Amino acid sequence: MSVQFFLQQCLIGLTNGALVALVALGYTMVYGIIGLINFAHGDLIMLGACLALSLVTALGLATAGPTATWLGIALLIVACGLFCGTLNVCVDRIVYKPLRNAPKLAPLVSAIGVSFIFMNIGLFWIGPSDRSFPELLPSTNLLPGEGLQFTWKDLLVLVVVVPLMLGLSLLVKTTRLGRAMRAVSQDPTAAALVGVDVDRVIAATFFIGGALGGAASVIYGLYINTIGFQMGFQNGLYAFTAAVLGGIGSIPGAVVGGLVIGFVRSLSSAYVGERWTGAIVFAILIVILVFRPEGLLGRRTKEKV
Amino acid sequence: MLEVENIEAGYGPIRALDGVSLHVAAGELVAIIGANGAGKTTLLMAISGVVPIRSGQVRFEGRPVTGLAPHEIVRLGIGHSPEGRRIFPRLSVRENLELGGFTRSDRAEMRRDIDEVCGLFPVLGSRMGQMGGTLSGGEQQMLALGRALVGRPRLLLLDEPSLGLAPLVVAKIFEVIAGLSARGIAVVLVEQNARAALKLASRGYVLETGRITLSGSGTELAHDHRVRDAYLGEG
Repeated sequence: MSVQFFLQQCLIGLTNGALVALVALGYTMVYGIIGLINFAHGDLIMLGACLALSLVTALGLATAGPTATWLGIALLIVACGLFCGTLNVCVDRIVYKPLRNAPKLAPLVSAIGVSFIFMNIGLFWIGPSDRSFPELLPSTNLLPGEGLQFTWKDLLVLVVVVPLMLGLSLLVKTTRLGRAMRAVSQDPTAAALVGVDVDRVIAATFFIGGALGGAASVIYGLYINTIGFQMGFQNGLYAFTAAVLGGIGSIPGAVVGGLVIGFVRSLSSAYVGERWTGAIVFAILIVILVFRPEGLLGRRTKEKV
Repeated sequence: MLEVENIEAGYGPIRALDGVSLHVAAGELVAIIGANGAGKTTLLMAISGVVPIRSGQVRFEGRPVTGLAPHEIVRLGIGHSPEGRRIFPRLSVRENLELGGFTRSDRAEMRRDIDEVCGLFPVLGSRMGQMGGTLSGGEQQMLALGRALVGRPRLLLLDEPSLGLAPLVVAKIFEVIAGLSARGIAVVLVEQNARAALKLASRGYVLETGRITLSGSGTELAHDHRVRDAYLGEG
């Protein structure tokens, strides 16, 4: 139990947390724009992972050289991003859009339904048992010395996640679409009355959230190396927790929440024991929410009317 | 410029508009007065496409707009500053104004229009970086009006622009509204302050439980005994 061991757990927490955050963004963006907790998001990512596995096999990436491997990974991320983004938009059009003015519970229950449908598709796609995702990256340590381990896999997570998050925050803050997204999330009718096509903005939000999930699905496969048709549930739950912890609807909140969950998970696994991790994560969630019900970066008060 | 022909609209089983017809000529300022719940807001929301029209027709510059989505109607040149102001509270004043010009592609021109709005309402100019939700009620109303103007509408629907505001601010808002006709912008003004609205308007309509019961020039209506009894508080 040294300082080095602690730092190692922090590194694991950082990469794990970044991955959780990427998934959490999908929950928080959709919630921010239409107030829906999209319970199918975790299972969407599971389907992305299924596609990633199929593509790895089809392209023969497991036996490719280093350059082809990196290009292949980039291709996987783009393909799974497009796939999950498009699928998310289709689900919105078919399932959630007709329920836009219905009571909140109707789309919520529908989202749970979509989650089960996705799980069944995943079951048909990759079968009932867990499948191993090939190790595409060498496990050489990138840090000098013996102690701390930081491999290509860890680097991959950060190299993908950090630019995606920066890109997203830039998009939301500075672009025309981003401004329209913020306007729709605050008052869809007022946004329509200045000429914003609300349905298109919602579709774009579903696409971006889904595409980030698609990227996460590839990283998940490469990083965890095991995928299964039920992986969406637990991973979705952790990511959703991260989004609530950070303040649901808040994009920086999802990132902070994801990192907090990542650190708590790795530290409690290392110092308390793996089997307690779930209990500890959710105990911390409850404590934080008791004192800050709006989440770490959520809005505290309603604004002046 | 705007012709509303016998429209019916409502929410669920409730029929809020029951055969309303009116017309607005280019550059004209038309007031709509009526009690709470008479259907004034629904009428504007129906023209803008937010509340669906069940029967009847709305034409803008000769073109039917019934059934178009709200953003398409905005693009045709109908601006709408809704009841309750509905500025974007967590966007800056500048972003609110820029969203007003969301349908425009001429960014340099739009900047000039934003500067012009700040000329009309200097207080907005000094708060460009502030969040909309932190403004006072009067400032929010100026922002809502400014936001609608940046869209360069040819017809502007104004819903209760003076509601709940201090008299000085009301005077300022009405002064700007009066200036719109001079710039060739037609206005439909919905107001609970009937006296001020009729003074400003060239014509007016009285809306009662979803029907137009009276119409005439601003002065005619202001002197009509039924209007005086019901809306001007002179029994």
